[in-house]
Amino acid sequence: MTGKQKKAFWNAVQTGLIVMATLIMLVPIAWIFMAAFKSHVDVYQLKLFFRPTLENFALVFREPYNLGEKLWNSTLVALATVVIAIPIATMAAYSFSRFRLRGETVMLVTILATQFVPAVVIILPFFVMFRDVGLLDTRLGLILVNLAIVMPFAIWMIKGFIDGIPLDTEEAAMVDGSSRLQVIRNIVLPMAAPGLLTAGIFCFILAWNEFLFALILTSKDAVTLPIGLALFKAEEGDLWNLLSAAGIIIMLPMFILALMIRKFFVQGMTMGAVR
Amino acid sequence: MRDNTLKYLLVLPAVLLVFATAIWPLVESLRLSFTVGRLNRPPSLQQYIGFENYTWAFLEEPAFWNSVWVTLAYTAVTVSLTTVLALGLALLLAPGGRLRSGVQTLLILPFAMSPALIGVSFRFMFNPEFGLFDAFFGFFMPVFAGVSWLADPVLAFAVCVMADIWGWIPFLTLVLIGGLSSIPRETIEAAQVDGAGGWRLFRDVTLPQLAPVLAVVVILKSIFSLKTFDQVFMLTNGGPGTATQTLSHYIYFNGLKYGQIGYAASVAWLMVIPMIFLTYAYAKFVFRKD
Amino acid sequence: MAEVVLKNLTKRWGGFVGVDNQSLHIADKEFLVLLGPSGCGKTTTMRMIAGLEEPSSGEIWIGERMVNDDLPKDRDVAMVFQNYGLYPHMSVFDNIAYPLKVRGTPKADIAPRVRAAAEKVELTHLLDRRPKALSGGQRQRVALARAIVRTPQVFLMDEPLSNLDAKLRVSMRAELKHLSRELQITTIYVTHDQIEAMTLADRVAVMNHGVIQQLGTPDEIYNDPANLFVAGFIGSPAMNLIDGSIREGHFVTTGGTRLTAVRAADRARVVLGVRADDLRVSEPGEGDIDVPIYAFENTGEATLLTVQWGQQRVIARGDRHLRKEQNDIVGLSLNPDHLYLFDPDTGRRLTA
Ligand SMILES: Nc1ncnc2c1ncn2[C@@H]1O[C@H](COP(=O)(O)OP(=O)(O)OP(=O)(O)O)[C@@H](O)[C@H]1O
Ligand SMILES: [Mg+2]
Repeated sequence: MTGKQKKAFWNAVQTGLIVMATLIMLVPIAWIFMAAFKSHVDVYQLKLFFRPTLENFALVFREPYNLGEKLWNSTLVALATVVIAIPIATMAAYSFSRFRLRGETVMLVTILATQFVPAVVIILPFFVMFRDVGLLDTRLGLILVNLAIVMPFAIWMIKGFIDGIPLDTEEAAMVDGSSRLQVIRNIVLPMAAPGLLTAGIFCFILAWNEFLFALILTSKDAVTLPIGLALFKAEEGDLWNLLSAAGIIIMLPMFILALMIRKFFVQGMTMGAVR
Repeated sequence: MRDNTLKYLLVLPAVLLVFATAIWPLVESLRLSFTVGRLNRPPSLQQYIGFENYTWAFLEEPAFWNSVWVTLAYTAVTVSLTTVLALGLALLLAPGGRLRSGVQTLLILPFAMSPALIGVSFRFMFNPEFGLFDAFFGFFMPVFAGVSWLADPVLAFAVCVMADIWGWIPFLTLVLIGGLSSIPRETIEAAQVDGAGGWRLFRDVTLPQLAPVLAVVVILKSIFSLKTFDQVFMLTNGGPGTATQTLSHYIYFNGLKYGQIGYAASVAWLMVIPMIFLTYAYAKFVFRKD
Repeated sequence: MAEVVLKNLTKRWGGFVGVDNQSLHIADKEFLVLLGPSGCGKTTTMRMIAGLEEPSSGEIWIGERMVNDDLPKDRDVAMVFQNYGLYPHMSVFDNIAYPLKVRGTPKADIAPRVRAAAEKVELTHLLDRRPKALSGGQRQRVALARAIVRTPQVFLMDEPLSNLDAKLRVSMRAELKHLSRELQITTIYVTHDQIEAMTLADRVAVMNHGVIQQLGTPDEIYNDPANLFVAGFIGSPAMNLIDGSIREGHFVTTGGTRLTAVRAADRARVVLGVRADDLRVSEPGEGDIDVPIYAFENTGEATLLTVQWGQQRVIARGDRHLRKEQNDIVGLSLNPDHLYLFDPDTGRRLTA
């Protein structure tokens, strides 16, 4: 082979591999999308062509599944988690980014480390305590434990964004006559706004997808969407068409949000270890 | 207000919150691990029995050891497969261009998918009657035609691994693409001018510079593999038997299904110990630049 | 408008001393330039005056007040940062208006004052833009306008021209000079560009290793350097420094050449300093010494001859029409009125 042929061959191989990887990635998602529009009978056959129906989406919101309630719970819990976490995390992140604190490294590492504590460890005492104070199966309880997951990510991610704001600008504002709090309000917050939004969306996705806490702490009133998946079982087995419809309701909003903040996803997950 | 006061006030709420939601339960778990700790007998949460829960796990519970081995095997297999495949995919996609950047954009999707849902969809895909992957495997490797994947201990484990790496490869690929793109172009170009190409270029220039990021990937994935719960719960619920019962699942069952909170807490703490080492290693990488 | 006084100002980080026991009296309306190599503590000095860095010890006075414990906002200074520190999320207008707004200037006053400031730096047509959509020179002018929109007691400028290209730097330098004469406000200006220092300053403070080496008018700094560091730092090309001794009242190089142009008291070791301009180039035999050319450079407006004199290389400036080749022999004579002798051990200037 000449150099040119070799190159063309190599390119073709690469393209082939990329297409294959993409298929492996997309087919399961596509399969669920298709199943969600299939009728009960079509789902139990390996059919690529079928008559699409919206019936499944109607069914999941009806008795006995009432997915609407779970959707509401998920939205409320994830939203509240974010609304509590982001301001608190922003304050801390600003301080960690701009000042030298006593015990700063210890605090930052501890915060980082809590992310790696297995959720089952955290949940055992919370279960006992919530049972005693009546927080089991409440959204409030769920929000509280979700903060454990979300806070470290939020603090580290926002700290990364604030680190990226040039110090010059803040100092200029101080010389221009601002107090520290005015600097934060007039300069830092507007400049960090895209970062805060990104961190907010990121935490929303984490809270939305959270499974173990909700599985253990909720049973009826505060059940969230991922736990709701367990509903679609009948005596004859899983109701795949309904499961798929519910699956779409869970994943589609997250896909949209994730695509919005794609650029920062890596940074968020790795807490800045990879820039 | 002087900055010296303000800076501590600013971190206070976050520190308190992290303390209440993460440090306290960790310490309380440790305490519980030394008690009889039966959920249905509340006073037993205060009955201390020393290391009895720990010795019980070590000496009397084959199921505990089973889940240790399952978790270790699961971690070893998923970490190595994800790392290697993600590295390959990253090298394939890093050069950019229309096709490659398009695929890079899609990589975010599996990671935004709830792990529980990934578990469900893989159960769907491997359904012996109408699962797409089952049909696919059956077509190319007739041995697998119509096999009941989730009923076979080895195959069920394999399906769990596949679901796991399907969910993680895309994200870790993105991480590695980020690492590749931060390697200075000049070093690669210099090596090309010096006469290195292909494999040598990768081994001598790219890989050494990618090593820190690769290490982060391995540590991060190890941590999350050791913790695995969601997919396994939805996919096999630890079965058949206990063939895919990870430690998290074992703790969940003993603590909340059987109500042995004290015992579960002791196993949970056994799990925390390797995490401490991994976190330490990870923190070293995070702080390496400062 | 006020004078600025630094009393024994010191900044330490752990064991490292960034600014060492610095005392400085800057008169009202004076334009003082802090000049020195990178890392010598210029920025640190200025940041302490602005209140962005806390001194380890010493006092800072602005006007009648000791400001050590004042926050930056209460010191009534305006600062131009090296990277400008513009607010990226505000328009040029809002950038310039910010110091007024945050100090509670009545709304009605703001717009005319912003416009007046913008006019002085010729920015009026760009007021609606964001900083991102400006060129380097335009950004620099926004930073300047933001500083002059108020009438602060003191201007602080940290290498405001260093991010501009050479040509723009020259024209902005002239603008700055014009503006400073017009505004008559005490200004402290940091730079490591000596031409900037020479052209702008009323007085220059040459710093090294956190210590002021010499404080004086540009003239004094150039023609009357206090020590070896200043002599070697100021001037381009740098002053020639030749090792030797004084024997029987005359300078003798380490190579043994005797220069009758230099007269001083006998001394075992001295350094002779002579600027390139004070060396006259002539035909061989016509000067004090004959030396071979090591390199011949033509800069257009002059020629530079690097000659090999014993072990040392010396640079002389020749006429712009002079043409020589490498290894040609030329004569050099020293201007006896502009020769400097230094003590090689202390670096201090020796007075004859
Ligand atoms: N926060 C700090 N911690 C420790 N050392 C510092 C700190 N800030 C500055 N320094 C050191 O103090 C010395 C003086 O720094 P400074 O910024 O004042 O230099 P400079 O004269 O402005 O130099 P340049 O011309 O490069 O801007 C330098 O050696 C610098 O490394
Ligand atoms: Mg500086």
